[in-house]
Amino acid sequence: MYQPTEILIERGEEEAPVVQRALARLPELPVHIVEKDWEQRKARPAGNDPFGAGKRRLFFTRQRAGFLEHCPAGTPGLVCCNYLVVSLISNCPMDCSYCFLQEYLANNPTLKVFTNSDDLLDEVAQVVDRQPWRPFRIGTGELSDSLALDALLGFSADLVPFFAARKNVLLELKTKSDCIDNLLRLESHGRVVVSWSLTPPAIADTEEHGTAPFANRLRAARRVQQAGYKTGFHFDPLIEYPGWETDYQQALEQVFATVDPRGVAWVSFGSLRLTPPLRKAIRQRFPQTRLLSGEQVLCDDGKWRTFQALRVTMYRALITQLNRLAPTVPVYMCMETAPVWRKVFGRAPGCDKDVARSLTAPNL
Amino acid sequence: MATLNEQARQIAAYAQRKRLSRTTLARWQAWPGTDQAALLFLLQDLQCGENHLKDLLDWLEEIAARDEQTIADILERRELRRARATPGSRNDKLKAVKTVLRKIRYPRLTRLEENVRQAVKALDLGRAGQVSFPSDFEGDEVTVTLTARDVHALQDGLSQLQQRLDDGRFQRVFDALDEV
Repeated sequence: MYQPTEILIERGEEEAPVVQRALARLPELPVHIVEKDWEQRKARPAGNDPFGAGKRRLFFTRQRAGFLEHCPAGTPGLVCCNYLVVSLISNCPMDCSYCFLQEYLANNPTLKVFTNSDDLLDEVAQVVDRQPWRPFRIGTGELSDSLALDALLGFSADLVPFFAARKNVLLELKTKSDCIDNLLRLESHGRVVVSWSLTPPAIADTEEHGTAPFANRLRAARRVQQAGYKTGFHFDPLIEYPGWETDYQQALEQVFATVDPRGVAWVSFGSLRLTPPLRKAIRQRFPQTRLLSGEQVLCDDGKWRTFQALRVTMYRALITQLNRLAPTVPVYMCMETAPVWRKVFGRAPGCDKDVARSLTAPNL
Repeated sequence: MATLNEQARQIAAYAQRKRLSRTTLARWQAWPGTDQAALLFLLQDLQCGENHLKDLLDWLEEIAARDEQTIADILERRELRRARATPGSRNDKLKAVKTVLRKIRYPRLTRLEENVRQAVKALDLGRAGQVSFPSDFEGDEVTVTLTARDVHALQDGLSQLQQRLDDGRFQRVFDALDEV
């Protein structure tokens, strides 16, 4: 359970609905009103782990830049799925040892919550309503878990009705939590995919700190499916370790023993990928981890990955298993090269739109 | 055996002599005393500077985490002791130790490299033909280069390539790239 140590509110945002909701649920916490440039002036939290400490400072502020962005997986040289992201929260209450935020938000002293969700919805409407013929996939799980703080912040009540009312967009809420109670009270009209990032329990229990156990995630998936939501599953990062094949195959079996494959919008696989600064951060913050002991090489995009022949072996094994369990579920790989697509699927997509179409067409 | 104080002094002296960064020294000093001593003993032979030492620290810590062994135990492995005893210069020893350590750290990747090397050697293309691969075998393109001074040499080279295609030796090269 996430326990912030203090609440910071940008002056002028005190009455924002999300602020009022959080204050009502955390009445005991010290509250400080700060100026809008507080973050630039404020030093990082002291101590051995300023990044970890920063997660427990809950900072409500306005997003002054745009919300809608292209997913950073669209890096040159990698096959992209044309995914868009919006972030109402920047930083995550969970603390997975492999998380890229340790590098990306290394100097961020807070867990930031944006108060102007109306602006986000306006911005999305401007883009998707002007192109009603074009299908979109938009996710909120880029800079934070989509649902871990939903009991506190209640953003799902803003997002789900908005997306449920649009025929050309799928909203993806990506999570490692089991915080779905708010969703069960909302109508998604099949346009919201609640997806879970999964690793086998052996990894989840040791590397995914503050997340829901594997079994709880699956139970939550079944409940949202029964409530009319589509579900998705992301085996990302795929981590190679002694026994990976059996553990991942069992994980896949458990998924499809729990949920109905007909309600699964997609499954993705993505190799563990670590930049050199992220490796350094992991070494410092999680010295006991075995994540860095895999046979990883530095790839052209500046990230360490399991060497190609081994990760192709992993993808092939798991996709074969998936096809056996749920042959009609769309599957894709995240942040992989065209050569790896050719080796795994026999062909690489002709363009980014091919992947996007294969994911949206069965679901919209 | 050096006392702990004496060992700390020797490590500090080594770091000063080799101008090691504070981070690298701190990482070494954070190890248990027996592991620090085992590395110091190795470095007395190898005399590594910062960059080689960082490789050793990375690989040793990663092997220790994977195999649940102490670094002192890893450095006592027979193949490493043999590499340390390699005759020749300090550079020869360093190269031998790093080769063995990399093989322990990356067992399947080094096996793949060796299998590909054997498959290329079996092509027996001589000096006129060369086969090259993307860095760390990331990709699916194999480059075959044929060098010729005249059309006859080019014809001979092409015939040789065709023969290696027909007898399956090129297939073996491509197969080796996917085998783990």
